[in-house]
Parts: sequence; C-alpha cells; structure tokens
Amino acid sequence: MTVAAGVGYVLIALGPALSLFASVIAKKPFLILTLLSSTLFWLISLIILAGAWRAFLPVKSTELWPYSILILTSVGFQEGIRIGFWRLFKKMEDMLNAFADRVSKPRLFLTDKMLLALAGGLGHGLAHAVFFCLSLLTPAFGPATFYVDKCPSIPFFLISAIIALGFVIIHTFSMVIAFNGYTEGKRKDQIFVPFAHLIAALITLINLVPGGCNIGLPLLCIMAGTTLYYSWQLVWRRLTEHQTTRSSD
Amino acid sequence: MDDRSADSDPVTAGESSILDTLGEDVIRIVSPVSLCMLLVVLLVSSLSSTNDLSSSISSLFLSSTTTPTSFSSLNLLLLGSDSTWEEIKSALVTAFSFVVVVTLLTFLLVLLFYFRCTNFLRIYMGISSLFVLSFLGGFISLLLISHFKIPIDPFTFAILLFNLSVVGVFAVFMPKFPISVNQGYLVAIGVLTAYWFTMLPEWTTWALLIAMSLYDLAAVLLPIGPLRLLVELAMSRNEEIPALVYEARPVDPQPGDRVRVWRERTDVRIEATENSTNSANVQTVQETRLAVSEEITAPLIEAFPQTGDRHLGTEEEEDGIGLGSSGAIKLGLGDFIFYSVLVGRAAMYDYMTVYACYLAIMAGLGVTLLLLAVYRKALPALPVSIMLGVVFYLLTRVLLEVFVVQCSSNLLMF
Repeated sequence: MTVAAGVGYVLIALGPALSLFASVIAKKPFLILTLLSSTLFWLISLIILAGAWRAFLPVKSTELWPYSILILTSVGFQEGIRIGFWRLFKKMEDMLNAFADRVSKPRLFLTDKMLLALAGGLGHGLAHAVFFCLSLLTPAFGPATFYVDKCPSIPFFLISAIIALGFVIIHTFSMVIAFNGYTEGKRKDQIFVPFAHLIAALITLINLVPGGCNIGLPLLCIMAGTTLYYSWQLVWRRLTEHQTTRSSD
Repeated sequence: MDDRSADSDPVTAGESSILDTLGEDVIRIVSPVSLCMLLVVLLVSSLSSTNDLSSSISSLFLSSTTTPTSFSSLNLLLLGSDSTWEEIKSALVTAFSFVVVVTLLTFLLVLLFYFRCTNFLRIYMGISSLFVLSFLGGFISLLLISHFKIPIDPFTFAILLFNLSVVGVFAVFMPKFPISVNQGYLVAIGVLTAYWFTMLPEWTTWALLIAMSLYDLAAVLLPIGPLRLLVELAMSRNEEIPALVYEARPVDPQPGDRVRVWRERTDVRIEATENSTNSANVQTVQETRLAVSEEITAPLIEAFPQTGDRHLGTEEEEDGIGLGSSGAIKLGLGDFIFYSVLVGRAAMYDYMTVYACYLAIMAGLGVTLLLLAVYRKALPALPVSIMLGVVFYLLTRVLLEVFVVQCSSNLLMF
C-alpha cells in the first residue's frame, strides 16, 4: 500500500528499537559491535533450526500439534543458546576487565554490564523483527495489501509488525533479566525468561484459529508489557541496592 | 555478590569507562562499508524494474571494450535463457579471464613501481577515477532520472556532472583535502563501480566473487604474490603506494597528540593491489588490502617481525586497531566494491538474503580485523567475508526462507 504504508509498518515494528539504538547504543561504539554480533548469533541459531526442520516442511496440515512442536523445539533451542551466549558474555567481560587494567582505566561498571546485556537483547530482537517481519514487507511498498484467511480484519503486514514489536521488547528486556539472573544466581529471574518466551510463542499459536489474532495480539502486547515491567523492577532494585552498598562503604 | 572490585558509580566517580571509546576505529570502518552496501541495495532495488535484456544491452553498450562481460551478455542475448550448465561454463570462463587479467595488471603495477614511475601511476589513477565518476556516474544518473522521471535539462546535468567528477578526482588525490569529502567520494566511487558489477549475469557474479577472493588470498600471502611484492617494495623504500584506499581517520581531529601523530607519520604500511574493472582502455586501480598505520616510533623494518619477535608490541598494543588513538584502519576500495556486489546480488533475490549476507560480511570483516590485530601484517580482506557471505546466501536461500515464510504466513513467531 504505497511507500508511506511500508515505511509505517517498518516503524511500527522497529520504532522502539530505533529509539533505543539512537539514544543509548549509538553513543558507545562497543555496544554497536555487541549488537551486530548478537544479531549474527540469533541468525545462526535460526539457520540451525531451519536446517533441522527442513525435512518436515512445508507443514500442510492445519492441525495444531505440528506447529506446537515447532514452537516448543525452537523456543527450547533458543533458550538453551542463551546460556551459551551468557558464557560468551562472561568471557568477554573478563577480557574487557583485563584490558581495562592494562590501560589503567576503571573496570566495567554495573551500568556497563547492563548496557551490554541490553545491546545483546536488542540484537536478538532486531534479528527477529528483520527476519520475521521486514523481509516479508517488500510487497507492502507496492500498491495493494494482503489479508490472511485466518485473520480477515487486519492486514497481514500490520499483524506481523505488531507481533514483531512485541517480540523486540520481549527479547531485549529478557536478555537484561537473564544476564542479571545468571550473574546473581537468582532462580526466579532465571526461570522467568524461558517461561515468558515460551508463553509469548504459544500465544502466537492462537493465531492459527480463525479470528484468533484478535485475542492473540493483545495478549502478546500484555506479555511484552509484563516483561518490560519485570525488567524495570529488577534493574531498579539492582541499582538501588548497588547505591546503598556503595554509600555504606 | 559480584566479586569484581571497583564497581564504582560512574556518576559520582566522574570517570569514563572503557566502554565509551572501545571499538571506535572498528565502527569507523563498519559505517562506510555499511553505507556503501545500503546505497547499492537501494540502487539495485529501485532500478531493477528494468528487465534483464535491457540491462544486458546497457551493460553491453557500456562495456564495449570489455571482452568478458560483453561475451557473457552477448551469450545471453544470442541464446536467450541459457541452460544452467551453459551459464556456469561461461561464468567460469569469465571469472578465470578476469583473474588472469588482474594478475597481469598487478604484476605490471609492481614493475612500474619498481622502476619508480610513481607519477605515471598517480596520473593514471586520477584518469581512471575521473572515468568512473563521470561515465559510470553519468550512466547511473541517467538510469535514475529516466526511472524516477526527474525533470532536468541536459546542460544542467552536464555542468553538474562535470563539476562533481572534477571535485571527486581532486578529493581523492589531493593530500590536503578535507577528509570527509575524500571519504564521501571514495564511497561514491565504490557504489558506482559495485552497481556496475551487479549488472553482470548471476552465475558470473558469484564465480567472479569467489575467484577474486581466492586470488586475493594467493596474491597477498604467497611469497611470489604480486601484492606481497608490492608491499615489500613500498616498505623497503619507505614510500606510499599510489592507490585508492579508504582511510578511517576521524573527521575532526582531536587536539593534542593525535594531530601530531598524523603529521609526522612517515612510514605507512599500505598494502595495495590492483583490480582492473575494465579492459585495456579503462582501468581502475584499487586496493584490496587492509593495513594499519604505524606510529613513527616503530621503524618500518621492525614492524614485520621476522621471527615472531613481539617485544615491540607492548607499547603498540594500546594503540592497536580499534583500541587507541593512532591506529587507523585502511581498507582498500576493492573490498568495498566486492562486498557491495555480493549484497547487491543478494538484493536481486530477496531482502532476507540481503540481511543475512550483510551480517555475514560484517562478521568476516570482524574476523579479519581480529587477525590483523594478532598478526600485524598485511592481510587480504576479501576471502573470509566473501566466503561467509556466499555460505550464508546459500543457507538462507535453501533453508531459512522456507522456514520463515512457513512460520510467518501462519502468524507463528518466536
């Protein structure tokens, strides 16, 4: 539906990500590099998943169960990879600290570590939006629009843009929660992240039912809001705790 | 809690963390490469509505002196849509002849440099960049004007084209020109040449990319490689090779020692190679090497540790790539061009391949920069990125696309 609509869909999916990028990440070059590498990481995990599932695709049935297995395996794989990503992150942190000692600058602050987690999460979210939404948006720049059978009330591009928006938020902030949870060793945070991801992915299963997207989309946005709130609370708590321990020294 | 000491609060401490400046140099190289790729993708996607035949004709018209491309486009015209095997054969022949021509020309360049015909080389490169900017730039502008129906008269167009090309030639070769204009024009030359290359038929493009990366690997690392000879010649004479190189210097030099280091820089290691994009009449000399400019404290001979001698590294490590103030990364223009050709060709298929190839090329560039930091000698920038790019293109096209389209057309995302 013309260039304006196409650009609009892009901005719906990527608006918060772009503002996060411009305000926080673009200022520190290392965060841009972290973002690029985490995007690549997510792409590689997606390619591995696609390779594993290639033999079974395309799924012709309209039953629910093949798709739910698809979702379960994909989310499980990605959450497992997240732990690997955290290990890489720890190694990088050690290298950065060693480098900081060498050039006699202060070691990584707590805010630095959280910024790194944010950049990593944003990379994942960006990769999700790009591969699941943007790459399919090319027809939207043309003269017409497209409706899926199961969801005749909203154009396909708008649905995928809103879902991508939800997942950008979920990926970005669940990485912050996850890294904090693994660092602190708190079970609650560690369990929350795969749980939230799984629930969000299962919510999109509702879209398979005719007319289901009217329920699925708001639920997904609620899930994204929950993740955002949880991460906000966690970061607030961590920062105030840190402040009090510092001032009590 | 955390056992890391000195988790000081930056606000109260007032110190900056290392995260503020780390990786600056890398970003200064990544941004122009990304910009070049973005412009080529935009050009390709906006101008690709012209069908294959007319673009073959236009490339035929333009490259009337180029044997390889006219051969393959002539082939395409005569035989219509070839069988795949025919296309592969002609692609391999084209790529092979291109590599042979480039090798011969690079040896010629080494010979000329050996006989100190530096002025001849500089004038020649000025003429070739004038050619690229005026002819290729004019041709692509004409395509854009006819596609977007921009109202412009021939005289204005001629004046603008003439002015822009002449300023471009000066920007690229005058030493005192503002660095941002220099960088901008180098990116423009890269975009124009890369777009021209994407007009080749598909199999030819891929064969050419792979052949060039293999050539790059051989020419820089083998002892008889022409590029290695060129580098060693330049080093032994303490001279700069006249070539088109993108230098990732900061646009506004910081006050203090940074400016001093640039002015006093005498021993610059530029590893150069030459790629000829056209045949005998038109040659564009470009570099496809990655190099690091050394501080003046390290004499050039010592800069190549013959026996793995690393003691000079201790004072330079802080100023190495991406870390410090004096190390600026130089990337040859040929690297820009071939990266953009890969991404442009991926854009002709679908945008998903564009993103995947972009990430692959960035990863390859990162790996090359890392190797550069470790080995500290001239390294070929093409092989890793192009190979990763081709692999990711194939994987995306074969595996990823089906998966993602299946999921998102059912509105299933994770």
